Amino acid sequence: MPQVSTGTIPLKKFGRSDAKVSALGFGGHHLGDAPDEKTAVEIVHRAVDGGITFFDNCWEYRRGKTEIWMGAGLKGRRDKVFLMTKTCPHGRDASLALQMLEESLQRLQTDHLDLWQCHGMVFDNDAELFIRPNGAAEALAKAKKDGKVRFVGFTGHQNPKVHLAMLKTGFPFDSVQMPLNAFDANFRSFEQQVLPELNKRGIAALGMKPLNGHGEAIKSGVISAEEALRYAMSLPVATTITGIDSMEVLEQNLQIAQNFTPMSEAEMNALRERCKPDAADGRYEVYKLSMRFNNPEARIAHGFPLDTQQSEVKDMLGSELNTGHPFNEKQF
Amino acid sequence: MASEMEWNRRSFIKGAAVLGTIPLIRGGSMAQGEQDHSQVPSGTVPKKPLGRTGVQVSAMGVGGYHLGSAKTDQAANEIVAKALDHGVDFFDNAWEYHDGLSEERLGKALKGKRDRAFVMTKVCTHGRDKKVAMRMLEESLRRLQTDHLDLWQIHEVVYDNDPDLIFAPNGAAEALVEAKKQGKVRFIGFTGHKDPGIHLKMLSHDFPFDTVQMPLNCCDATFRSFENQVLPEAARRGIAALGMKSLGGSGELVRHGVVTAEQGLRYAMSLPVATTISGIDSMEVLDQNLKVAVNFETLDAKAMQSLRDQCRVLAADGRNELFKMTTKYDGKVGREQHHFPTTKELPL
Repeated sequence: MPQVSTGTIPLKKFGRSDAKVSALGFGGHHLGDAPDEKTAVEIVHRAVDGGITFFDNCWEYRRGKTEIWMGAGLKGRRDKVFLMTKTCPHGRDASLALQMLEESLQRLQTDHLDLWQCHGMVFDNDAELFIRPNGAAEALAKAKKDGKVRFVGFTGHQNPKVHLAMLKTGFPFDSVQMPLNAFDANFRSFEQQVLPELNKRGIAALGMKPLNGHGEAIKSGVISAEEALRYAMSLPVATTITGIDSMEVLEQNLQIAQNFTPMSEAEMNALRERCKPDAADGRYEVYKLSMRFNNPEARIAHGFPLDTQQSEVKDMLGSELNTGHPFNEKQF
Repeated sequence: MASEMEWNRRSFIKGAAVLGTIPLIRGGSMAQGEQDHSQVPSGTVPKKPLGRTGVQVSAMGVGGYHLGSAKTDQAANEIVAKALDHGVDFFDNAWEYHDGLSEERLGKALKGKRDRAFVMTKVCTHGRDKKVAMRMLEESLRRLQTDHLDLWQIHEVVYDNDPDLIFAPNGAAEALVEAKKQGKVRFIGFTGHKDPGIHLKMLSHDFPFDTVQMPLNCCDATFRSFENQVLPEAARRGIAALGMKSLGGSGELVRHGVVTAEQGLRYAMSLPVATTISGIDSMEVLDQNLKVAVNFETLDAKAMQSLRDQCRVLAADGRNELFKMTTKYDGKVGREQHHFPTTKELPL
């Protein structure tokens, strides 16, 4: 596919800080769906060359595979990117969060992160657990103080009320990550309930799930991928993180990002209206209504059951077998 | 409703004596391996007023879903007969339970006894119109072998837009009114297990519901609470409250060691409700419930608060009430109508 690079990806301000990040961010979870490490590394190289600077990852994604692959891809290119990963204590102690940081740094082959976020704040008591003595808040503060991370934040995909509770703790977050798309606008909306508060406070807003997680609405023909991405990128956010699992998807996204012109308010309203009927029951925002996007760490920490539909659970199955060979997920 | 990993909650309770971890509320703890062979006390389950209807119903009711899980029709007949003999007259059911089998079972079990029972079933339109609802009513009446229902409720109001669909012109709400007018149902209501906010949205339409059904248990008290948010509103409107999921839906409250089955049922039955519907799929479970329900006396406020406090920490993330935070209890028909993934694709 010919590479059409007619422009550069815009850079946007990271909240109140002087840092700037690409308007399109590279999602970490979907990188784990690439066929192998070699392909993943090629994709990451091409993404950097294409002008993406914001890279997203997470300690618990694919049992470490995505951090390892991204680390390999960013070797020799670390200074070109704004690297973020997440820690996954899910209510447990600061010491666990800090241990996860060390493991992330090791896998990503770096001695520091640009951004470190507390992952998956989705349960009603997550804010309380975060801010408690010995909670993850202390880990974020320490890592920043020790210079291992430049900025700190939190993420969540489930409930705007939990985001607001996290903000209410008073912890000085530099960023907050949440789903932002044309369906969210009219259903338990992060865009309506959380985004204005972030803008007010100068906290960098990081949008994710512009395509609703797995592109269901696009498959149903309600919205095109381009419309969906442009909508999300047109919001007052620092970046829009989207999943990339193949060179083809990367090229499509680079096309949109490099030629990006923001949607007008009228266009955005029209798109919200079009999506409104299907937004009403949350059918395209399953991450708000189910456990699907809650990884095993989150579930176990909160006493919830696992299920075999979830990718990290599938990743775990089979690793108990002693085959005499290094564990190869391709067997399962 | 069953998933591969789901425990039968009652088999856990049967095994509780073996585990030795769960003391019974009466008579202190059981030694390991002992079964409680004490008889169900003689007496009856007390009656409570059904809101403003003028009718009284038994303080404990027999759930329809689990009646369909009983091993045989014979077992179901015996459960129903013994329940009736102890003054239990409230029988719950739904058009979609076990693809109609639950209603058929109840119909057979109540043959010759229909006048002793207060029969409720639910209509499972999940957003579809009045015509669908009236058709389902006819099917329910046929399976239940009766010409009328004592109570007919809109089932599983759990999606944010369900109230809008129900109250749309030609919607299910109109069916409730028509069925009442035709004399096919005495009373009408709705049910749901997901979020107090959705129940309140339904109530805000000022529709003449006679009943509203919701989960009520000692963990609910401190987590997205139907008890705190919906009970007072129902009371204000004179709508009878029907409690369900007193043990978490599949016994989670007991399985996770939060309370005993007896404590859980006793708490729920002590709330200001007309009845507490409990799933019963065997004689053993019926007996266990009857030991609490026969000659039932409510817990005082202090005891209630003590149970809430006992549950508070473990209630906080909803782990014991999976119907609120997961899709586990969201039925097949509702998922289809709302274009959601199937249970197999999205079990939680």
